[in-house]
Amino acid sequence: MFTLTEEQELIRNTAREFAAQYCAPIAAEIDDEAKWPEESVAAMAELGLMGVPYPDKYGGAGADYLSYTIAVEEISRVCASTGVILSAHVSLACWPIYNFGTEEQKLRYLPDMTSGAKLGAFCLTEAGAGTDAGSQTTTAVLDGDCYVLNGSKVFITNGDKADVFIVFAMTDKSKGTKGISAFIVEKAFAGVAVGKHERKMGIRGAHTTEILLKDVRVPAANRLGKEGDGFKVAMATLDGGRIGIAAQALGIAQAALDESVRWAKERQQFGKPIAANQGLQFMIADMATQVQAARHLVYHAATLKDEGKPYSKEASMAKLFAAETAMQQSVKAVQIHGGYGYIKGTTAERLMRDAKITEIYEGTSEVQRMVIAANCLK
Amino acid sequence: MPNIITCYKWVVDEADIKVEGNGALNFERAGRKISEYDRNAIEASVQIVEANGGSVTAVSLGGPEVKNSAKDCLSRGPDRAILALDAAFADTDAVTTALGLVRAIGTAGAYDLVLCGEGSGDVYGQQVGPRVAELLGIPSITFVNKLTVTATGVVAERKLEDGVEVVEADFPVLVTVLPDLNKPRIPGLKQVMGAAKKPVTVLDAAALGLTEAELGARAEARGVKAPASNRKQVKAESVTALAEAIAAALR
Repeated sequence: MFTLTEEQELIRNTAREFAAQYCAPIAAEIDDEAKWPEESVAAMAELGLMGVPYPDKYGGAGADYLSYTIAVEEISRVCASTGVILSAHVSLACWPIYNFGTEEQKLRYLPDMTSGAKLGAFCLTEAGAGTDAGSQTTTAVLDGDCYVLNGSKVFITNGDKADVFIVFAMTDKSKGTKGISAFIVEKAFAGVAVGKHERKMGIRGAHTTEILLKDVRVPAANRLGKEGDGFKVAMATLDGGRIGIAAQALGIAQAALDESVRWAKERQQFGKPIAANQGLQFMIADMATQVQAARHLVYHAATLKDEGKPYSKEASMAKLFAAETAMQQSVKAVQIHGGYGYIKGTTAERLMRDAKITEIYEGTSEVQRMVIAANCLK
Repeated sequence: MPNIITCYKWVVDEADIKVEGNGALNFERAGRKISEYDRNAIEASVQIVEANGGSVTAVSLGGPEVKNSAKDCLSRGPDRAILALDAAFADTDAVTTALGLVRAIGTAGAYDLVLCGEGSGDVYGQQVGPRVAELLGIPSITFVNKLTVTATGVVAERKLEDGVEVVEADFPVLVTVLPDLNKPRIPGLKQVMGAAKKPVTVLDAAALGLTEAELGARAEARGVKAPASNRKQVKAESVTALAEAIAAALR
């Protein structure tokens, strides 16, 4: 079904080499210490990974979305924290500017972002507005040629490291979701502050913080789309973002399989490798089949996006299936490792913690089912 | 501003080779890659040109599938590629490979330096480099793990079993390199996407003027099998007894 182009294969090689060289040696350490992988992020910038699917005109590599998906998969296979740093930047911060921005906004922000000189973050979620993104309490009030933003955002991936934020705020509360607008907010704007750092179960190398906005004056020229378009911008961005997270989950699932195969061949019990037991062989067979099925769904969704076809349903299917696959396979990987799998520092244990978030962020598995059902039933 | 020719071989990725129960090698799902030491040669040539100016022409020889190597190679920095491709080159020996490469190099214009990996990742015969130099009528320097380019030639450190030998040679010269020479860069995405825009010349055996006699195999591979290793599982009560048991097992 998917014969990759030479470029896609070479981009996979580049991502794989990057992951082996930069991520593998520190993946356990950045997880343990919740440490930001500074050198890896710099290397991703150097290699052009921060702008994979954007045209040369905006500083990107000019590759397709499938190439980007493959890059996230390969990086997440080694370090899911680094995978989500990339995915949040490319899918959630660069993409809304690329897709909804004016030419001036694109030329002003994208070259610095796609080159990795500036990192991006996406600020939609609030303490009381998770899946129910419509109940935003952050406000944006027009005052002259600026909007004044007030509010606080939570669970912001790349929060403390980002230079450019895509912020959603209510410009007209009476209109509900149609009263939300999107803005490009720079960290340098007065009144933008980083709040609490979350201590997470997994993807601990990726930083997740609060972003506080107090009387932040954002030029009206930085509004993304029309006033009231914010919800549309957010939902369209999350549709594409789901492919990135699906790719992250796919990488975790593949790693769970790889680790299981390696361990099953190495670990000797009763004088033979545990892989000699049919019960374990069947587990490996099921894992490999699930991972391959997830890969097909994820690559298919990315391909639809590349072809300019509708992909909302397929992206949700890919995200749902890949996330559940990552969770199930990483639990099996721990099981196959036995007692060793339960010990901190083993890869299987980290994969299981990292996998869980993929069922939650950028739309929970329940939201994906709602999206899929709505597409099927309309 | 040296003009550099860098030769590479498109080899089977050994990580993908499966070993069957009878020791036979299964290549069915094996991908191809640029041979490891040849990557060092490519990296060296690109670094030299980045520092001194000049140009890098990559040259390879093999069966038609070697065409797929062009973008991989060019994403690593060379300016252009000349590929000697022919079904007759699918399994050539070192003599024919060297002859074909020399004919291909002959189409490249003037050159100062030819770089090759010390040996290929599959057979590691270490013959092609020196044979190419001989046929070109230029000196060759082998086992090089440090290379400096001057205005008129090279200074090379040869890593030998009993020491290091420093050799100087004027252009044109051929150098075969060891992996200590450098760390090949990871190709960036812009280089990958830009590779398709670089020129690739493809020449078959006839275009290279190779006769049937020249193509004839001088050696024949009768079979290839994975090395078998038997674990002896030596166990003993004490360190001394273990040492004796190991010594006995080794005799």
